[in-house]
Amino acid sequence: MYNSNKTKELNTYDAIVIGSGISGGWAAMELCKKGFKTLLLERGRNVEHIVDYPTANLNPWDFKYGLNNTLKDREADPVQSNTYNPSTKHFFVSDAEHPYIQEQPFDWVRGYQVGGRSLVWGRQCYRMSDLDFEANLKDGIAVDWPIRYKDLAPWYSYVESFIGVSGQKENLAHLPDGEFLPAMELNYIEKHLGDSIKKNEHNRLLTIARVANLTRGWDHRGPCQNRNLCERGCPFGGYFSSNSSTIPAAVATGNLTLRPFSIVTEILYDEQRQMAKGVRVIDTLSNEVYEFYSKILFINASTIATASLLLNSVSSRFPNGFGNDSEQVGHNLMDHHSSAGAYGVHDQFKDYYYKGRRPCGFLIPRYRNLKDGENLNFKRGYNIQGHGERMEWQDLSYNLNGFGKDFKKQLTTPGDWTVWMAGWGECLPYFENQITLDKIQKDKWGLPLVKIDFSFAENENKMMIDIQQTSAEMLEGAGFKDVEMFNYKKSGGSTVHEMGTARMGHDPRTSVLNKFNQMHNAKNVFITDGSAMTSSSCQNPSLTYMALTARACEFAYQQLKNGKL
Amino acid sequence: MNRRSYFKRILVLGALGGASFSIFKWKELTRQVDPVLLWSKKDLVAELSEIIIPETDTPGAKSANVADYIIKVLINCMDIKKQNKFCSGLELVESHSMRNYGKSFLNCSDQEKQTVFEYIANHSGFSYRILNRINKKIFGESFFITLKDLTIEGYCMSKPGATQGLAYDYIPGNFEACIKLKPNQKSWATK
Ligand SMILES: Cc1cc2nc3c(=O)[nH]c(=O)nc-3n(C[C@H](O)[C@H](O)[C@H](O)COP(=O)(O)OP(=O)(O)OC[C@H]3O[C@@H](n4cnc5c(N)ncnc54)[C@H](O)[C@@H]3O)c2cc1C
Ligand code: SF4
Repeated sequence: MYNSNKTKELNTYDAIVIGSGISGGWAAMELCKKGFKTLLLERGRNVEHIVDYPTANLNPWDFKYGLNNTLKDREADPVQSNTYNPSTKHFFVSDAEHPYIQEQPFDWVRGYQVGGRSLVWGRQCYRMSDLDFEANLKDGIAVDWPIRYKDLAPWYSYVESFIGVSGQKENLAHLPDGEFLPAMELNYIEKHLGDSIKKNEHNRLLTIARVANLTRGWDHRGPCQNRNLCERGCPFGGYFSSNSSTIPAAVATGNLTLRPFSIVTEILYDEQRQMAKGVRVIDTLSNEVYEFYSKILFINASTIATASLLLNSVSSRFPNGFGNDSEQVGHNLMDHHSSAGAYGVHDQFKDYYYKGRRPCGFLIPRYRNLKDGENLNFKRGYNIQGHGERMEWQDLSYNLNGFGKDFKKQLTTPGDWTVWMAGWGECLPYFENQITLDKIQKDKWGLPLVKIDFSFAENENKMMIDIQQTSAEMLEGAGFKDVEMFNYKKSGGSTVHEMGTARMGHDPRTSVLNKFNQMHNAKNVFITDGSAMTSSSCQNPSLTYMALTARACEFAYQQLKNGKL
Repeated sequence: MNRRSYFKRILVLGALGGASFSIFKWKELTRQVDPVLLWSKKDLVAELSEIIIPETDTPGAKSANVADYIIKVLINCMDIKKQNKFCSGLELVESHSMRNYGKSFLNCSDQEKQTVFEYIANHSGFSYRILNRINKKIFGESFFITLKDLTIEGYCMSKPGATQGLAYDYIPGNFEACIKLKPNQKSWATK
């Protein structure tokens, strides 16, 4: 490896964005639209919209082993193979190639490519509210969020109007409505469950999921064709990904330089200006080392990678990691839990069915601890996500006895209605839940391995019991039979909502970023991926990352314009 | 992968974890099976799968070439223990037909095949499973269960199975949330 001697001018941009996933795509687009010459650095390969979706149009019989992962895959990728199958494997990293250390079981699910995990995400989009932004302050937990809902509300609207989110307005203070495209529809059993909940549980309701799937044409994309194969990449551009949306928009400005195969290894510090001067990069094709410089820097490598990049960037000014005066970098790691729930079978309404594969389920917005004094044995809350369907062969395979003609007939006829639902629960920010860098073990580029030490605690475990009970109650209330509660006890990370490792806060002594996601200790660095999160709420988080990103880009632009950076 | 199928899969895998199997010794179950041996049993596997999903007014397991799928998936995707149990199961089928009819399974009459198959099914440890009973470890991965699962999967994901045995909607276009079931309507091949 040698440091390539390109001239400094050639390697200088107005802005650098690290990572091209959900949040990085947004940063790149916003900065390009503001006229900044922007360099988007991505460690993985390029993935071109539509062209690079090799499995998108395949039929079930086109896969050699169906959707079963091979023994070899499971051995090489013990973590990722829990999430991928042969139709999506190419959008996930290989664990063998990208190892990390689990102090306790933690699934670090990753997609190293242009678009990051925006290609495979579940597209659920929910706003946070003041119930969430005020929670830490009220409970005296961790530090206060330096923003409130009103600061983010216009940016939620801005993002939703661009990406296209379908959903139903419900007029709830704790789950604010957004700018919605027409909602998808609930099927018969889901409506039945919804009606029963409305009747029996006055503070609860069931609504269709809010998802970044386009129910009508939008921004030259879509509409969604109801194939429910989104995670393979959509040939219709029916859902939001960086690849289908923000990156093409950034390219269209003429201001974007996209550089795949570029691992950012270090943030470079400028002693004189007390700011970042740029980044050091390993080109994974040539193994050459480059430096790139810019006025501002957006770090969007995703929570764990972002924290590890900061920790790996040491200098005499920052011996503990870049911008880490507070010593909070890497700490307060959170992930939602989604292990607990209930399942039930309904023996009526057999005359009804559905056509098409709606790419989402339903949502029961949070109903716990909305007010003070509920006397529950846990803090915060959860929402319920689930779906109703009739048993088809996948389920009947486990439920039908026998073999032969009659068996075949039953197997190929719609069975009873079922509902599966689980709680997506808030996880508190614990200082002990953290990532660090291993002092000895390195990856093939000589970078220290990330060590993850995470576990759920009493509050999360008690909440899971409550989830099981309230889910089962709602199903039983609606006449479901054989209601079964479950807790899969999945490890941390498996909800893939990791966040919190470089949190926002008012005070530079206890937080890494200020209320504009600007680093307290280096004003031209902005971090707008999940690491910025001060608490986790129970909402799927990516919409919030996007809103924070757009807001921070506008702030950075104003600061630069006014000569403050 | 889609979230919900992901979780469903975990549910199923989790439930499968509690299997116990007493007929064959553990030692035998940890040896790699010989793919050549398994492939040489393809006709037998095909015959068995056809008993589970026979040809009717729609194609059966044989015309969907399910045996091929079963063996490929077994060798490449299933753990060694399961592969071995499967091989032992095939041996059991053979020895049972030998003992009772003095001929190999493939040479048995339809009635005899049926009887042997019923014996195997009834001696698979348990014959009835409920998906949601996950807390009551009644799942297993006996020979019969593996054979049945892979037959169903191989059939329903094959072209004849998906498009003729079931209803396959390649690009639905719209979503109709509540439709009246039509007489003899088949269920959807994919979710
Ligand atoms: C199966 C699945 C379902 C999900 N469902 C939902 C959902 O329904 N709703 C929701 O809100 N969220 C969901 N998520 C989570 C969502 O995908 C993430 O929150 C989101 O992608 C995070 O965005 P990001 O920009 O922080 O990171 P990513 O999208 O992961 O992008 C990070 C990018 O940075 C690159 N990178 C990393 N390190 C470096 C480096 N050192 N140098 C250069 N580049 C680097 C990576 O290669 C990657 O491209 C889901 C995730 C998965 C896997
Ligand atoms: S469900 Fe819609 S968005 Fe998803 S892949 Fe199909 S058409 Fe595209």
